[in-house]
Amino acid sequence: MIEVHGLSARLGEFELRDVTFTVPESGYGVVIGPAGSGKTTLLEAIAGVVPARSGEVQLAGRRVTTTPPDERGAGLVYQHAYLFPHLSVLENLRYGARDESTVEELVSRLEIEPLRQRDVRSLSGGERQLVALARALAHRPAVLLLDEPFSALDPRRRARTRREVRALHREWGFTALQVTHDFTEAGLLGDVAILLDGGRVLQHGPPEQVFRRPASPYIAEFLGAENVFAGTARVLAEAAPDWLESDPAALAHGYHAIEFTSGPLTLYTVGNAGDGPCYAVVRSEEVVLSLAPQSTSARNLFRGRVVELGTLGAFARVTIDVDGTPLVAAVTTRSVQEMGLREGSKVYATFKAMGVHLC
Amino acid sequence: MLAALAGSLLLLFLGAPVAELIITGGAGGLARLGRDAELRQALLLTGMTATTATVLGVVCGTPVAYLLSRSEFRGRAILSAVLDLPLLIPHPVAGIALLLVLGRDSAVGSALLAAGLRVVGSPVGIICAMLFVSAPLYISGAREAFARVDPRYEAVARTLGDDAWRSFRRVTLPLARRGMVAASVVMWARAVSEFGAIVILTYNPKVVSVLSWDRFATFGLPEALPVAAVMAIIALIPLTLLRALRHDRSMTVSS
Repeated sequence: MIEVHGLSARLGEFELRDVTFTVPESGYGVVIGPAGSGKTTLLEAIAGVVPARSGEVQLAGRRVTTTPPDERGAGLVYQHAYLFPHLSVLENLRYGARDESTVEELVSRLEIEPLRQRDVRSLSGGERQLVALARALAHRPAVLLLDEPFSALDPRRRARTRREVRALHREWGFTALQVTHDFTEAGLLGDVAILLDGGRVLQHGPPEQVFRRPASPYIAEFLGAENVFAGTARVLAEAAPDWLESDPAALAHGYHAIEFTSGPLTLYTVGNAGDGPCYAVVRSEEVVLSLAPQSTSARNLFRGRVVELGTLGAFARVTIDVDGTPLVAAVTTRSVQEMGLREGSKVYATFKAMGVHLC
Repeated sequence: MLAALAGSLLLLFLGAPVAELIITGGAGGLARLGRDAELRQALLLTGMTATTATVLGVVCGTPVAYLLSRSEFRGRAILSAVLDLPLLIPHPVAGIALLLVLGRDSAVGSALLAAGLRVVGSPVGIICAMLFVSAPLYISGAREAFARVDPRYEAVARTLGDDAWRSFRRVTLPLARRGMVAASVVMWARAVSEFGAIVILTYNPKVVSVLSWDRFATFGLPEALPVAAVMAIIALIPLTLLRALRHDRSMTVSS
């Protein structure tokens, strides 16, 4: 378990302030945040290589706030690997390793056998990251702190390594905390997501919750939500409308129906917000496009015109103009082809009330 | 064009006297080694005292250099200034200052004398003078060598189970080694070439620099030339070592 309470630390001019979160025993936490938000400093403060100015750090149930790094049981893997350049790859792997069999197992599982005899200085960035990862794991730490450990790997190798690390995490039962810029990775790996900015935690919780229900429009935009509208919410006073009743999840949370107005747009949503100004966030993957109005249970239906169409492999980003307000939909490239969409096409956009989050 | 001319003139000014000295007196100086016992003794004394001063400088200066490169603490600027002081004051002045602290009439000097350790007029005085004027050069060089080693190497070693001393010994020291060796070579060369402070503390027994001055003052240039040429040749040894070290500096200490 990693338990951080009110942690403040300073490195040069940068300050980490009042950071609080918990990653459960054998859990996998992911730290996300813009560059310079303090992600690396946070890992270093937990590892003990940057001293805490105040607050408390507990690792595996033990208070370690003032414990030296070598007695904390926390392994640290930097993005730039920091392999010891005066040692060979094998000597790096054996540095701090619990035993030779652990080294051999990791060499095999992380597929670094061909690197064993290589000079550290001849390794590529990705190869260095793999060796650094194996070196930290070979020490068998109770807590593993990873600072963008897969960033220099090619996509195939990254996916394989990610799976292997997840498998090792399950088998060996260590608690992990990983910094990443990759939201997909955060969703795939994390049990807990911690969003950091300016040295402070903006939001933490299960990744699904952080991504679907961002605490502020800034977080929403940072997490890639392209439809963020400023407007006014009004609680619908009448008895629960049929579209709310049809959604058991909404009723289970005790939410009420809300009408949200932003210029010419009126959205319907469910939640526990009251009347007043706020922001509405609709993730682009929640928006469904069609050429004719669809008879679905989705409460929000708009007619618009395609103003921008960008494809990226299997997915396309379609921006439609709804009475002067841009609305972005993420759809498959195949759907775009099947509908024959191009700039100027008239389309209908629909999304469910539960797809609208107010903050 | 003008800059190239100015640079060439300066290089000529710096190189020509030493080259002329070695060309004119080198052969005579080396030939004299066989029959000049005083020169041989002076060379031996210079080598031994400079090496002892360098060993003391490395042993005592390394922790100071590491501290200055890694830690922020109150008084750091004052400590740095104190360490630069011997480089800034004229060396005879340094000799006088050392005489005040270590001379027979001083508290320290008389206590050392009572304990059987004579400083003034002995090799110990030479070592003290050499250490005083050259240790700051080692500390400055070693500090730079440590500063070039990213502290994150140590951080990784610490998380792999090393305590502070073990991570220093296994990671920092090997990575800073070349810079430290270069700094100690510079210190040794500076110690060998010291005259001003030594001549105040210990005129006899004579190191080579004092002997060359003594021969010049007593017998004139012809007698001083071979001694000075031998000293110039000795000075070229560390210079060559330094070049070799820099040429071989392929090891990176960045990530």
